[in-house]
Amino acid sequence: MLHRRVFQFFIVYLLGIGLLFGIKLALNLSDYVIPGPTGVWHTGQAEFSRYMGDVLDTFAVAVIGQVLSILMALGVGVAGRRATWFGSFIKVAAYNVQAYPIVAIAPILFILLGDGFLTRLFIAAMICYFPLLLSVIGIMSEPVVDIEHFYRVTGRLRWQLEVKIRAFENLHKLTTVISGSATLAMAGTIVAEFIAANAGIGYSIRIALYQSDLSKILVALFIIGITLSLYQGILELLGAGLKKAWAAG
Amino acid sequence: MKTRLAFPRITAWILLCVVGSSLISADPALAKEKIAYRLKWLINASTAGDVFALDHGFFSEQGMDVAVKAGGPERDAVRELELGYAQFGVASADQVIRALAKGASVVVLAQLFQVNPLQWIYRADDFSLTRIQDLAGRTVGITYGGNDATIMRALLATVGMDEHQVRLASVRYDYTPFFQNQVTIWPVYRNTQGIFLSDKLAAGGERVAFFDPSEHGVRFVANSVVTSTQMMDHHPQRVGRFTRALLAGWQAAMAPANESAVIRAVAKYDRDTSEAVMRRQLTATRQMIQPDPDIPIGHIDATAWQQTEQIMIRQGLISGPVNVIGRLRRHHAP
Repeated sequence: MLHRRVFQFFIVYLLGIGLLFGIKLALNLSDYVIPGPTGVWHTGQAEFSRYMGDVLDTFAVAVIGQVLSILMALGVGVAGRRATWFGSFIKVAAYNVQAYPIVAIAPILFILLGDGFLTRLFIAAMICYFPLLLSVIGIMSEPVVDIEHFYRVTGRLRWQLEVKIRAFENLHKLTTVISGSATLAMAGTIVAEFIAANAGIGYSIRIALYQSDLSKILVALFIIGITLSLYQGILELLGAGLKKAWAAG
Repeated sequence: MKTRLAFPRITAWILLCVVGSSLISADPALAKEKIAYRLKWLINASTAGDVFALDHGFFSEQGMDVAVKAGGPERDAVRELELGYAQFGVASADQVIRALAKGASVVVLAQLFQVNPLQWIYRADDFSLTRIQDLAGRTVGITYGGNDATIMRALLATVGMDEHQVRLASVRYDYTPFFQNQVTIWPVYRNTQGIFLSDKLAAGGERVAFFDPSEHGVRFVANSVVTSTQMMDHHPQRVGRFTRALLAGWQAAMAPANESAVIRAVAKYDRDTSEAVMRRQLTATRQMIQPDPDIPIGHIDATAWQQTEQIMIRQGLISGPVNVIGRLRRHHAP
């Protein structure tokens, strides 16, 4: 599963970069507009270790942000799964808050939390949280009629059991959503670093943009992509292992 | 019967008029040349001459239909020239030099700012910065990767100061660290943000002063008008007409007598700045566009360009000389 993810990423990245080089060649563009393969290679050699450190820094924040989001989404999703006034309120709030662009909220966070770790974490969690919440609400509010019916008529269906049944029956969906949210958490952290931080790969990308250095950005994208592919692969493996263990237990 | 005949006649006349007018407008002798002009930043007092030239028909007089496009952090006029999205643009000197170092073909037509508006603001009651050495031990804001970082490093280097003798702090568009006195020396565009920040602090009873690198020997060139070498070689007349119209627009915009008209032109695009603030922004801009009446607007300061190139080489921002002097076009008076 892991090597397939990495292999697929290589295909996507090479196709993308190949397209850029193709455009450069076809339009006879200078290295200022699109860098050449040697330029990207040299930049990669010069910046790889520094950017790798930056990506790992970003990644650490993204993982913490994602874990927080998962916990919050599960908590609120379970609370909001019923067709009650509170359940519908949670859904409406989730939809509305998701509509606010993070660039508008970031300056407020910046004033409240400064430009350090907390701002990055908060923005990562915000970007990652709402899609997760909507998926969790969707899964948790869908009854598994065949199984729940038995427990319901025998009067043994408590809310914990209801949540367990629904989670188990939708484990594949949940794993996919959580794995997908890793991308959102990473993207959220990078956005946060771009607009309100002094560390991480988003901050380095901002500096590269100031210097009009596309080679650096291509190198950064490569490291971000490979890190995310590995992480998503690991999450999928964990999901598969969890399902197997749960089914056996 | 008459009514039935009238309808096809009217239709025929309308068609004739439409076809005729499109043929007239398609005549290259009568049609105006369409030009895209990409600015460096959003439209404000720093682009007064650009919008004034547009609004007061300076381009039209030269037979040009110019679209003045606002810039921004992700906009790069030099890239747009090469990709054909714009025919003329405004770029900072470091942008031009970086582009030349990477093989871009770009020509500098005019230097809009004779004094770089990028300066540092500080509270005049807390300390004074009369020498570069006065920066020692203070928290100085810079945008890492930005040209303010390059200028600050060049300033420190001129007096042999180490970067560690000052506390460099990363800044961005949010001024909170300056208002809270966490960063005491903050980079601003003196003619725009500088005015607004002065007002904010004055409201709280605080006076400000500015630290101008050019007064300490660092003349890092700011916004300049550029085009591609291809445009220069193949359409020199067009380049000449554009430059003339633009510089005439700037000349008129900087005349104090036209101040109200200029404010009206800028205010069409910059709706968030009050007329009073814009008036003071224009006064500051005037001093930077033409600090010396003997030097014409648009004059290219070759020495400053050379110094900018040298600074960039010394800081490793480019790997070697790009002969920027060879890319400066002598200025044509409007």
